[in-house]
Amino acid sequence: MTTHRNSAGTAAPAPVLAVDLVTDPAALPPLGALARALEAAGIGALTLSDGGLHPIHVAAHLAPATTALGLLPRTDAVHVEPFHLATQLMSLDHVAAGRAGWLLAVEDTPEAAHAVGREVLGTEAAAQEAADVLTASRLVWDSWAEDAEVRDAERGLYLDAARLQYADFEGATFSVRGPAITPRSPQGVLPVLLADADRAAAGDTVAEQLADGRALDVDLTGLDLTSPDLTDPQAAGEQLRAVVAGELEAAVRGDGATAVRLVRLVGLDLSGDPQALAARLGALAASLREDDLVAPAPAAGTDLRAQLGLPAAVRDADPARRADRARLVAAASTTEESR
Amino acid sequence: MTAVHTLPALSEEAQGLATGPVEHPLHPEHTPTGQLSFGVFFQGVNSSTVWRSERSGSQVAWESFETLIRTAERGRFAAFFLGEGLRLREHRGVPLELDVAGRPDAQTLLAGLAAITESIGLVATQNTTYNDPVDLARRLQTLDLLSGGRAGWNIVTTDNAWTGENFRRGGYLDHEDRYVHAEAFVKVAQQLWRGEQIDHHGQHYDVAARGTLPRSAQGEPVLFQAGASPAGQAFAGRTADVIFSPHGTLAAAADFRRSVVDATIAAGRDPQSVKILPGAEIILGATDAEAEEKRIWVRDHQIGPQQAIALLEQYWGRDLSDFDPDGPLPDVEPEIEQSDVTRGSGFQFAKAKELTAAWRAEAAEKGLSILEFAREKSGARRGEFVGSYDRVADRLGQFAALGAIDGLNITPWLIPSGLDDIVDHLVPRLQERGIYPTEYAGTTLRENLGLPPVQG
Repeated sequence: MTTHRNSAGTAAPAPVLAVDLVTDPAALPPLGALARALEAAGIGALTLSDGGLHPIHVAAHLAPATTALGLLPRTDAVHVEPFHLATQLMSLDHVAAGRAGWLLAVEDTPEAAHAVGREVLGTEAAAQEAADVLTASRLVWDSWAEDAEVRDAERGLYLDAARLQYADFEGATFSVRGPAITPRSPQGVLPVLLADADRAAAGDTVAEQLADGRALDVDLTGLDLTSPDLTDPQAAGEQLRAVVAGELEAAVRGDGATAVRLVRLVGLDLSGDPQALAARLGALAASLREDDLVAPAPAAGTDLRAQLGLPAAVRDADPARRADRARLVAAASTTEESR
Repeated sequence: MTAVHTLPALSEEAQGLATGPVEHPLHPEHTPTGQLSFGVFFQGVNSSTVWRSERSGSQVAWESFETLIRTAERGRFAAFFLGEGLRLREHRGVPLELDVAGRPDAQTLLAGLAAITESIGLVATQNTTYNDPVDLARRLQTLDLLSGGRAGWNIVTTDNAWTGENFRRGGYLDHEDRYVHAEAFVKVAQQLWRGEQIDHHGQHYDVAARGTLPRSAQGEPVLFQAGASPAGQAFAGRTADVIFSPHGTLAAAADFRRSVVDATIAAGRDPQSVKILPGAEIILGATDAEAEEKRIWVRDHQIGPQQAIALLEQYWGRDLSDFDPDGPLPDVEPEIEQSDVTRGSGFQFAKAKELTAAWRAEAAEKGLSILEFAREKSGARRGEFVGSYDRVADRLGQFAALGAIDGLNITPWLIPSGLDDIVDHLVPRLQERGIYPTEYAGTTLRENLGLPPVQG
């Protein structure tokens, strides 16, 4: 079986500046306006943390309102149905035209386990499960070639099965046959990042080998962006800059799975006026960019892999998993019989 | 089972009832509203969508969904409906190459579409057999909240181990148990939507969770069900808000209404609270002749020679590629006991030998070739409304007046422009006749389908 590894490579460029948004149903009405304002202010990505509403669906809901923002739901990789998770994430990439990513979480809590009729796995088994779910997801994402839809009217073929492959993932606790029920998404294989807060639970395999990179968390809990002291966006931006730049400079940049690809502002109170919040965060972004501490603001239509400095995903075509092999085998056995 | 290929004569009963709502002509416990609602079923798979046309757009591009849903909302459609199949269809061991295949996850897509629409309902087909109830309930409630109370759930079941190969459970559910399982599943979802603590330890799963999200503007998602099989119909009578299995003739639709009303009463529910929106295909023209010409074109492009042979191969269980699609049905015997239906299709299992013999006789009697026979069978699976704009408007008026249906769940035969003529030419005629909304009744799916507020 082919194992999809991360997109290890050269040293990562400056990380993308992201804001974490908690999916609290009380914060619903202005979400689209907030996302648009943050995008206009030059924020590179949103991460969606679970505050009740399903983060993948909230990300999908924000996609049509935006054109450049990366959208990375933070969701569990353990007490989930891997095929559904993979399908939902690649569907998000379709809706977001290539701006989707996955902030992988490991939530081996009693609540998460009991909700699906399972028991808590324990640290080691949960880490193994997360590694398997990530590997299976990549195999599902990679199961259709870009050109699998042939629409050959003469031969009556909509698809070419030879351009599909089964996932054929066999893990310790589950297997996934595939191929995907969804055609290849714009990015093909979504970038998968791991936030600092999740590193310990995710275990070494995911954190140091399988992930596409790291999200450096800068905790701004308690900071009131709308306080009278910060009415001047420039002043607010400078104050924020002191904190964020300090964290960025102190962080070990790493490479491969441990490369810092995203710097994520967490704990911000985003309940205020979207325009005012965006002005202050925009000033921060501009200030950090002056010293190349974060990546440039993404242009409309930039896919998330490109924004993160990851190479485009190249399909890992595996002859042993080709979806038309059954036809080949059948043809061979027919020939055998007719002799 | 014959296809509705020509415009069937209306029964005397229906002709006598062609003007406006009348009191319980079909069932003493049911009063027709005389009103219709439309849904649009973006299939995304199968042969219903013509892909061999220059006007046929992408089945997965955002722009296709956006175009279609905007047209539907312009036409005051109540619902935008997406299907689901949890394994890619296969034919003789290989992914089926002949039909449209591959679609995004319904709810993820609908969460996006909720952002660009204001009134239309967003219905996701979601399987009870291979989902976890707590997870699915939360995702549906998320969609309901994101859309301001416009979510619907088309409840489907499956029982085959072949689909199960994509999931942790594998094949685990007996055919007879699938609705027992589904009903327990729906109950858990409803309890969670109502903010209850659940601690379910049943035959098929053990889950503990608490509903934490607020109620949506419509209370909770609207429940759709096909309600085709007897078990499915009983389940729908107990559970569904909307039933949509296709019934192309007025007589069949009337019979179906009677049995749905009976099932609803048997379940102790108000028969007015269950709406019937049969799946349907509408093919229109300025004249009947133009519509009929278009119908033939559509059918010819939906089912080509390769698909006709593949259809028969499912039931014969052997390679039939040497047979001429324009010739008679194969004179060879099937190689299997049970038909190896193309996996993931809606065909029911049948005894192969009996079925193929019956088909040979039917085709011979009607003088149909393989291709003609396959096209007829394919048409028979759908309810068809074919004719001039006025003809179809009148006919729908008769269905509505009789109370046979509350609307249609329309499958466009072309993506993304397949609703254009319906919205531009048929909807205005229905509005003139006073049987179709000129504005949305409210902001929620429940309101726009004329459903009562949710109980519980």
